[in-house]
Amino acid sequence: MNILVCIKQVPDMESRFKVDAAGTWFEESDLAWRINEYDEFAIEQAVQLKEQLGDADLTVLSIGPARLKEALKKALAMGCDRAVHVVDAAAHEKDPFQIASSIAAFAKDKSFDVIFTGMQSQDRGSGQVAVLVGELLSIPSLTTAVEFALEGDTISVRRELEGGLKAVVKAKVPALVSCQLGLNTPRYPTLPNIMKAKRKELLEVPVADLLTEEARLETVSLAYPEKKGSALVLEGEVGDLVEKVIGILKEKTAVL
Amino acid sequence: MELTRELYWNVGHSVLIPMYLLVAAAFGVLIWGLRKRLAAYRLGQPLDRTDQRGERISGVLRDIFLQARVLRVKGAGSAHGIFFFGFVLLTIGTTLVFLQADLLDPLFGVRFLTGNFYLFFSIVLDLAGLAAIVMLLGLAVRRYLLRPKDLPNVGDNALMLGLLLAILLTGFLLEGARMAATELGTDLSWWSPIGLLFAQPFAGMGETAQRSVHTGLWWFHFALVLGFFCAIPFTRLRHLLLTPTNIFFRNLGPTGKLRSLDLEDEEAESFGAAKVADLTWKDIFDGDACTYCKRCQDRCPAWNTDKPLSPMKVVNQIQEVSFDNPEANLIETVTTDVLWSCTTCRACEEICPAAIEHVSKIIDMRRNLVLMEGEFPGEEVTKAMESAEVNGNPLGMAPAARADWAEGLEVADLAAGETAEVLYFVGCYAAFDKRNQKIARAFVQLCSAAGVKVGILGKEEKCCGEPMRKLGNEYLYQMLAAENIELIQSTGVQKIVSACPHCFNTLAKDYVDLGLELPVEHANSFLAELLQSGKLKLKSENLDCTYHDSCYLGRHNELYSAPRQLLAAAGASIREMEKSRSESFCCSAGGGRILAEENLGERMNQTRAKMAAETGAATLVSSCPFCMSMFEDGIKGADLDEQLKPLDLLEILAERIEA
Amino acid sequence: MKALLVGEYREGKLLESSYELIGFAQTLGAEFELFLVGSTDQLPQVDGKLHLADVAAAGEFNPALHKQLVLDAAQKAGADTIVFLHSSYGWDLAPRVALALNAAQVSEVVEAAADGYLLPACNSKLRRTVKATTDRSVVTLQVGAFMAAEPGGTPQVEELSVAAGGNTEFGGYEQAEAGEVDLGKAEVIVSAGRGVGKPENVAMIEALAKALGGEYGASRPVVDAGWVPHDRQVGTTGQVVSPKLYVACGISGAIQHLAGMKKSEFVLAINTDKDAPIAEIADVLVVADIKQFAPALTAKLVG
Repeated sequence: MNILVCIKQVPDMESRFKVDAAGTWFEESDLAWRINEYDEFAIEQAVQLKEQLGDADLTVLSIGPARLKEALKKALAMGCDRAVHVVDAAAHEKDPFQIASSIAAFAKDKSFDVIFTGMQSQDRGSGQVAVLVGELLSIPSLTTAVEFALEGDTISVRRELEGGLKAVVKAKVPALVSCQLGLNTPRYPTLPNIMKAKRKELLEVPVADLLTEEARLETVSLAYPEKKGSALVLEGEVGDLVEKVIGILKEKTAVL
Repeated sequence: MELTRELYWNVGHSVLIPMYLLVAAAFGVLIWGLRKRLAAYRLGQPLDRTDQRGERISGVLRDIFLQARVLRVKGAGSAHGIFFFGFVLLTIGTTLVFLQADLLDPLFGVRFLTGNFYLFFSIVLDLAGLAAIVMLLGLAVRRYLLRPKDLPNVGDNALMLGLLLAILLTGFLLEGARMAATELGTDLSWWSPIGLLFAQPFAGMGETAQRSVHTGLWWFHFALVLGFFCAIPFTRLRHLLLTPTNIFFRNLGPTGKLRSLDLEDEEAESFGAAKVADLTWKDIFDGDACTYCKRCQDRCPAWNTDKPLSPMKVVNQIQEVSFDNPEANLIETVTTDVLWSCTTCRACEEICPAAIEHVSKIIDMRRNLVLMEGEFPGEEVTKAMESAEVNGNPLGMAPAARADWAEGLEVADLAAGETAEVLYFVGCYAAFDKRNQKIARAFVQLCSAAGVKVGILGKEEKCCGEPMRKLGNEYLYQMLAAENIELIQSTGVQKIVSACPHCFNTLAKDYVDLGLELPVEHANSFLAELLQSGKLKLKSENLDCTYHDSCYLGRHNELYSAPRQLLAAAGASIREMEKSRSESFCCSAGGGRILAEENLGERMNQTRAKMAAETGAATLVSSCPFCMSMFEDGIKGADLDEQLKPLDLLEILAERIEA
Repeated sequence: MKALLVGEYREGKLLESSYELIGFAQTLGAEFELFLVGSTDQLPQVDGKLHLADVAAAGEFNPALHKQLVLDAAQKAGADTIVFLHSSYGWDLAPRVALALNAAQVSEVVEAAADGYLLPACNSKLRRTVKATTDRSVVTLQVGAFMAAEPGGTPQVEELSVAAGGNTEFGGYEQAEAGEVDLGKAEVIVSAGRGVGKPENVAMIEALAKALGGEYGASRPVVDAGWVPHDRQVGTTGQVVSPKLYVACGISGAIQHLAGMKKSEFVLAINTDKDAPIAEIADVLVVADIKQFAPALTAKLVG
């Protein structure tokens, strides 16, 4: 069986973001980079599937600049067989459609049986790439998986809906599965696997070889919302405080 | 009448040949038994413990012949010590008899057991024997009547006590029978008061009866002694030989420095210890040298807060597996809950009379769990590891915020090319935790007041890797350490100070293996020097406090007096806790446990907070950001926040800077 | 703008959140028609055209088929903007529709501005303004970002014919098991800290959480003391949460706790100490004794 897992490298969300000079993205200095959390679940599920099948080939793919070698190495250490680095120094300027198109262009003649992705990325969270790849390849997509099983040629997934509800959905391979948090517990790579990963194949593909589509979205600006860090301090008599708080909650949150 | 006695009285010199043949046979059994044990030690990995022989030998003399380690614990330790001294005197006495009767007299006609020396010899041996018997009885009462909690009792213990007691008693009976026939009624007999007492039952017998009883007793006594030699390799009596040997082979430090793994070793198939063969020979030898005295267990903060870890049992399990089932999975035998419970506080090693190294064994097994299985005590720890990997700190904070605490203070950013006299290695907790940032600020204020220009690595500083290393993640530790070392070396700074005992111990001892060889000091000793040299001036203001010795300052680095000097200079009076200095009780944060949830047993930080509250002091002073984090929680958790407030020593000093 | 609003229907019911779509269209003053795979028993109460596909034939989950139905409706409505909720239904379906229309998709819109749509980025730390460069576009709205329209009116139903189709199979719903609390998914969390004083007072925190429609949690010392079960602990050693509203009751804000809840969208802290570290990340800090404030707020909310 042929498996593909698509991952993204994102800044750690605790990072201190600075909007760049163009005002459309953040500066990369002072950021700590990691594998998109959702994608770690995807890698783990792909590795578990490979272990379940025994005879399977697992490719991990990512699009971005040189720094994402670290992310690919971790995926290899977790158990992927080879890595594909679609080299694009300006990946952050690509929209979800372009990213999906590049992945689909890579995957179209590789006959992948199962494709795993994260449900969304932590930095942009558009949640589009997974389904777009499935649609571009004309295979069914099962999104938001919190449980995964493959029996014969049928994938069975529990989708997470709202309010604790789950839906059981199935599709035949080839198919794409997007992974939600809690699908599994991503493994911590062992030292021998970290060492082995250094010798695994890491293929570089220039993005120009794959991408022919124009962007459909344009980022106008990126900015901080209202400044956090200075709390509005309310003091006084309890009754008044309660009134004020209810007013604020109504105004500032969607809760009341 | 000549002041002496006839050696080989009654039994005659004809026993010499059978006696020596039997002694030779017993030694044969002893050596054969010990040799059999060698095979188990040889399972272990090589380790050189034969350097600094002078120091090693003097340690053996101090700890065995002066019983220095044993005597550190009153009660059983004192009894063992006194018994030991008695037994040694008896052995010396027997050796003197051998010298005169079997060597010097027959060959040269020299007899020295005469006259006043004989009287001295006689009374000393009598009293030594008495002391030994009393101590044995005392130990037997303790073991079988008082029954200390969790003291392991096996057949060996009864055998040892019984055999030794029987040898001593038959010795006195033998003396009694001889004295009944030869000394009763003479002044000489008063120089053997215990023998005299034992002579009374034989007094009424005729000499023939006395002689035949004496012959029987002599052979019986001799048989017991032979049995004693034969029993050594096969019972816990082996500690007579193995404990001194183990003290010779002891770890000469630096204390608390871990063995570095060669992670680039292409040949290595496995890292850490899953089987006894992955440990060193010394680890297996340690297991055999254990005397089951449970001193380590008594002091273990994990054991004392109802966690499954007993350092003694871990060492015993290693011994059992080594001899009974060397292929067995050691980690399964010891269990992961036990391994993760250790705070590496070193209370066990500090007190061990046999110089056993408990901590490194636990770390070796943790290394296997982490490096080979990717296993941690909990998901929160895995997360902390990943945060340390990505953000350079286990708290998952933004690296760019690492130097925010220093805002408005006079500190140089060495990583940005500025210069300073000393590098202050801040550490993650002082850098990011709001409570602990006060410690960092206090340290810089104190240095400024003393005219010392301090530099930091700013946002480029990484976690020193200590919690990761102690939790077995040698790979991540080496990664973080290498980055720090490269950065430190690039700044050209010549001295490092840290106010965190964990950073301090790691930079000072562990980083050496990775190429950092700068002097590293803890803030306490650094400031104590500034105080002594008059550069730092403090106002004296009353403070009623107790002081908690952090494990990595105290037991790992013996920095007991510097903090107390500083506190005294600040006008503080310390009410010491019962468990202080080398007996200090861990706050629960060591061994990487600061990153882990404490799910088993009682909460260690609350236990320690209660000990502090018992002194009646209003302030709990410590010198460690980890301890501070634990006490902030522990004091609240134990409902002591009304009466006890945790403060770092540096905060107290900073309040008392003389303008 | 001519919008087609894609409503949601689950377990035989029209989902209330569908009214947020109408709220969005009204906010923009856009012309709109509705689309729903549902039933005539559960029609949205709104005037206007409703393209209705019978759920009995189309199923509640069949993305490939639903995509075709949306496309049919979009064509009939002549819509240039197809609007979904950013929900498990919407984020699954929207990209399929967008690709079929060669349209750009804008995900999780929180606000419509003159120069484009505002979206959260990096865990809501940042806001991104984005616009589509295609003629038609697909939009998904963050749930709760737009005020729901008041129900009222009767739709003019236009039935869509449903052909068989689909490449997935639906195997039914499963309710979450009771017991284990997953605070990570809660939208409102009210957490108890040491400031609640004693175990009996946890009940008032629980009551406040209930009044706000959320779950209650606790800081580590409270859990350690055994006042609150461990599965409710918020913090790096408990659960890391990101609710819409986090109410920190008598929590001073140990670093482990802050790291576990700082991703919350709105933080209300109640503490007697206004210099407590929680003030650093709280949006509002009420200086009060939680033992007085919590019951008063609960009473007012329950009303």
